Amino acid sequence: MFDKILIANRGEVAVRIIKTARRMGIKTAIVFSEADRDSMAVEMADEAVFIGPAPAAQSYLVIDKIVDAARQTGAQAVHPGFGFLSEKAEFAQRLLDETIVFIGPNPHAITAMGDKIESKKTAAKANISTVPGFIGEIASVKHAVEIAEGIGYPVMIKASAGGGGKGIRVAENRKDVEEGFPAVRAEAKNAFGDDRIFIEKFVVAPRHIEIQVMGDRHGNVIHLFERECSIQRRNQKVIEEAPSPLLDKKTRDAMGAQAVALAQAVGYDSAGTVEFVVSGADKSFYFLEMNTRLQVEHPVTELITGVDLVELMIRVAAGEKLPIAQKDVKINGWAIESRIYAEDPYRNFLPSIGRLKRYQAPEEGRFGPVTVRNDAGVRAGDEISMFYDPMISKLVTHAPTRLEAIDAQAHALDRFLIDGIQDNIPFLGAVMEEETFRSGGFTTGYIKQQFPDGFKGVSPRPEQTRLLAACAGFAQSVQAARARRISGAVNAGEARAEWSVILDGQIQTVTVAPDAQGVRVSVNGAPSAQLVSAWTPGRPVMEGTIDAKPFAVKIAARTEGYRLRLRGISVNAIVTTPRGAALHKLIPEKIPADTSRTIMSPMPGLVVSVDVKPGQEVKTGEGVAVVEAMKMQNIIRVERDGVVAKVHVAAGASVAADEVLVELA
Amino acid sequence: MKDILERLEAKRAAAIDGGGTKRRANQHAKGKLTARERIELLLDEGSFEEFDMFVEHRCADFGMQDNKVPGDGVVTGWGTVNGRVVYVFSKDFTVFGGSLSMAHAEKIVKVQDMALQNGAPCIGIFDAGGARIQEGVDSLAGYAEIFMRNIWASGVIPQISVIMGPCAGGDVYSPAMTDFIFMVRDTSYMYVTGPDVVKTVTNETVTHDELGGARVHAAKSGVVDGAFENDFETLAQMRRLIDFLPLSNKEKPPHWPSFDDPNREDPSLDTLIPDNPNKPYDMKELIEKVADEGDFFEISPDFGKNIVVGFGRLDGSTVGFVANQPMSLAGVLDIDASRKAARFVRFCDAFNIPIVTFVDVPGFLPGLKQEYGGLIKHGAKLLFAYGEATVPKVTVVTRKAYGGAYDVMGSKHLRADINYAWPSAEIAVMGAKGAVEIIFRGEPDKIAERTKEYEDRFANPFVAASRGYLDDVIKPRETRRRIIRALKALKTKEVTRPAKKHDNIPL
Repeated sequence: MFDKILIANRGEVAVRIIKTARRMGIKTAIVFSEADRDSMAVEMADEAVFIGPAPAAQSYLVIDKIVDAARQTGAQAVHPGFGFLSEKAEFAQRLLDETIVFIGPNPHAITAMGDKIESKKTAAKANISTVPGFIGEIASVKHAVEIAEGIGYPVMIKASAGGGGKGIRVAENRKDVEEGFPAVRAEAKNAFGDDRIFIEKFVVAPRHIEIQVMGDRHGNVIHLFERECSIQRRNQKVIEEAPSPLLDKKTRDAMGAQAVALAQAVGYDSAGTVEFVVSGADKSFYFLEMNTRLQVEHPVTELITGVDLVELMIRVAAGEKLPIAQKDVKINGWAIESRIYAEDPYRNFLPSIGRLKRYQAPEEGRFGPVTVRNDAGVRAGDEISMFYDPMISKLVTHAPTRLEAIDAQAHALDRFLIDGIQDNIPFLGAVMEEETFRSGGFTTGYIKQQFPDGFKGVSPRPEQTRLLAACAGFAQSVQAARARRISGAVNAGEARAEWSVILDGQIQTVTVAPDAQGVRVSVNGAPSAQLVSAWTPGRPVMEGTIDAKPFAVKIAARTEGYRLRLRGISVNAIVTTPRGAALHKLIPEKIPADTSRTIMSPMPGLVVSVDVKPGQEVKTGEGVAVVEAMKMQNIIRVERDGVVAKVHVAAGASVAADEVLVELA
Repeated sequence: MKDILERLEAKRAAAIDGGGTKRRANQHAKGKLTARERIELLLDEGSFEEFDMFVEHRCADFGMQDNKVPGDGVVTGWGTVNGRVVYVFSKDFTVFGGSLSMAHAEKIVKVQDMALQNGAPCIGIFDAGGARIQEGVDSLAGYAEIFMRNIWASGVIPQISVIMGPCAGGDVYSPAMTDFIFMVRDTSYMYVTGPDVVKTVTNETVTHDELGGARVHAAKSGVVDGAFENDFETLAQMRRLIDFLPLSNKEKPPHWPSFDDPNREDPSLDTLIPDNPNKPYDMKELIEKVADEGDFFEISPDFGKNIVVGFGRLDGSTVGFVANQPMSLAGVLDIDASRKAARFVRFCDAFNIPIVTFVDVPGFLPGLKQEYGGLIKHGAKLLFAYGEATVPKVTVVTRKAYGGAYDVMGSKHLRADINYAWPSAEIAVMGAKGAVEIIFRGEPDKIAERTKEYEDRFANPFVAASRGYLDDVIKPRETRRRIIRALKALKTKEVTRPAKKHDNIPL
């Protein structure tokens, strides 16, 4: 076994690897860029080597620097994590040449699987099912029909140069092909000036399901079942789980066998993932590609199999034989993973970078049947940098059944507090409660279908309204009881038991009476429930139980009451006396000022260009400026027709979130 | 006897009816509560004791003798806020538009006198049309009597003005002399002369809101100390503010049991200061992480944003926080910031509230506008305020403390009691580059090297610490614990200064 390994990565995966290495008694060295000088991974590692400026191209991606760091620290092996150099055959080869062990597959396997077309050819040769299709000149409608019938309906007729939904048609039968083929060809010619067409199997209700494989350097390969990764946004996985709610044993075994066969075909000797697209309709599955690295979502596999994949990677890299055989691997329970991103779900998931003012993750460990794991590489006070992936952490829950794991995940998300930047926790919380997701019958189009206009937050169900009202009433009673103990009072009066909580314009009457362990709370005269919580003012999360059922609500003081957050819900609760509530009813609601006149920067960033001038007419959807953040150029558009009255910024200016860029007349 | 009781009830009902159902409904339709409803929400339930309900005006001109409403347009009395006594007057717009008669003024003066005599805060709620013109000079005399009480009470009891409707002409000067003014957005305005007069005199066309709305005074003129969305929020926040304030200058700041550990350390503060010295950070994060339960009542949040002032608690007792804000103009001291902070420091000193100062200041703001505006004298206000303050003063330098601004911001030399610095502190006459360009003028090729030299020598807290200008260099994470300890030791602080009638602060 190695004495010391170098981690050529950063953030949560570096922390993840250090944890396993430490448990195995292996010393760790890590490389770090300027941006990661004080990172948690650097603090945890036994040694750290500085490798240059923040941009990855000048640090984490520079092979020479990693090799030098390995030499300098005397590390015998390098774990690349994921991303960066993890799938660069050149890097694996270089380490081989330098007689440093690469904790990953051999360069040949990386190369074989690295090219999309090559890997499909290899797969086909190994009898792995790939998406049936025809790539080549299609001469005529007749030819197209022949091809379609050879593949079997439905098929997709697609322009080679296609994109953005143009030049694509699904054909269910012969007639569709006869009509569709010329139409797509014409469309392709018009739109792209290229009328080359291909036809392939249309996968109905597609799902992204992948098989974890593990090989050693002695020719053994096993699989560790599947991960369901269909919940994606713009091809970025958001929620993963294992096993998949779709697969039955037969399909699972078939996919596993194919994945193992493919791995064996390329002499695979580490952890890898074989990705398939699976039809939700008939469970037919087709090979997509193979990822020759540890996968971000590997923890769900670890939690259902009890296997530490990083440990296995290190062991096989050191030449050990796989300590487990296929028959030893069993599925135990269900695991759900949420990727916590630094992004604003209410603003079309725009990246949100900056300082983590507060970061409070749910406690990790086993709690009865539930396991909570949080793979993170940050602490409160750290910076989510514009230079790297905006993922903050991966929250994983495991329980005996899928629904229990989902509920545990939702509860863990409720306890996960991030402040200073925006996070997607409300969105994740909303998905955990959403029926299609809970039923397991979703496809890769899930987010687009469920949230066609983006995420706007969700409304509380009646029992959630009662919970939120109870929490607000309890918070107020704690505050009021303490306020009665202020020095200099002449008349403490009687403690108030009844509070009015106004939620979304509705008055909820909450009575709070102390009892032995906590308080008894009643909402709108319903039988009282026992609320036990150690919450005190200033704590951002109110955790506790109501009639022994656990809850966690995020709470922040407002000018009159609290802002409460639960799952995907975010509401303002006015808390007042019944008299105050009666007075509220007398006053008409204030109409918020019209902000459609101003176009604001949705995030902090650099103004790349301003594309309008005062006096210029603009139409809804027209871009007025470009703001760059996290290396992403975002076009800022107007939301109504109008005439530009004033331009507030110029190219090159740094703008804050909500800073006014352009004003309409 | 029964007759008399019935008559009393009838009189009371007439007073409570005020301007009548229709006017009250009108008031509500405008988004405003009535005078009595406001008092109800400001005070503990059922604690209000009203005075002078039956007072009527004595004017006999212009038909006023036939137009009398008991109470005469202002509701006065006392009650409690979380059990502590406060005196209140609340103008009733539904009665004579809340305008001020002699009798109306006498009612206000009565509660002002009682508040001063008994050592309890006086809170005025304004929603009124100015002077009762029918009463002529009597109305002006009434105003002046109120002003006089404001002056006598200044520095003895906290006085708070809440503008919840029109407040114009003679009505503005009483609030102006109180300690704090708050406004309600969209339903209140405040000016000396209204849009009509402005149009006549200067030919400028302005709306009430542009001339004296809450946003204008909270952000531009700095006349008010805060603006809130509606009557409810405003009154809830007034209760919150009162919980921070001592009842009079004879009292220590109020105390309540804190839910926050006085020894709590916050490791995230160790990374608050960015690696790049030119990068801003949010000083409010420090205040919120140091204060008990993160509870900070900011004063004038929208005016002179380059300095942050407000009340918090440490281990259950009120302190005043003063902090440069690097997020705004790099935290520089300018006219607005100096005025704002000077007034706050003086309030704290008058009411025995310890002052905690966080320093990250690059200096005073240069420029014609500042110099023409009298930066010298305005800056001197803050200098003066810090120097004359005898309450416990604890200062923490987080980053830059440059030049004269270093002296001003609660330095040892102005008799701060305890001065700490974070390891990131740079206490110097100016930034390294500027200093080097002066010292080594004419040696342009050596600037970089010399700058490095200067930085090594001065861009740290150790030179100041070696002189004893700093008492200790502390870790950011332990800031809360250290300040609380320091203030404990300073509880018994006593200072005597030369006797004088009063000082002559550069107003």
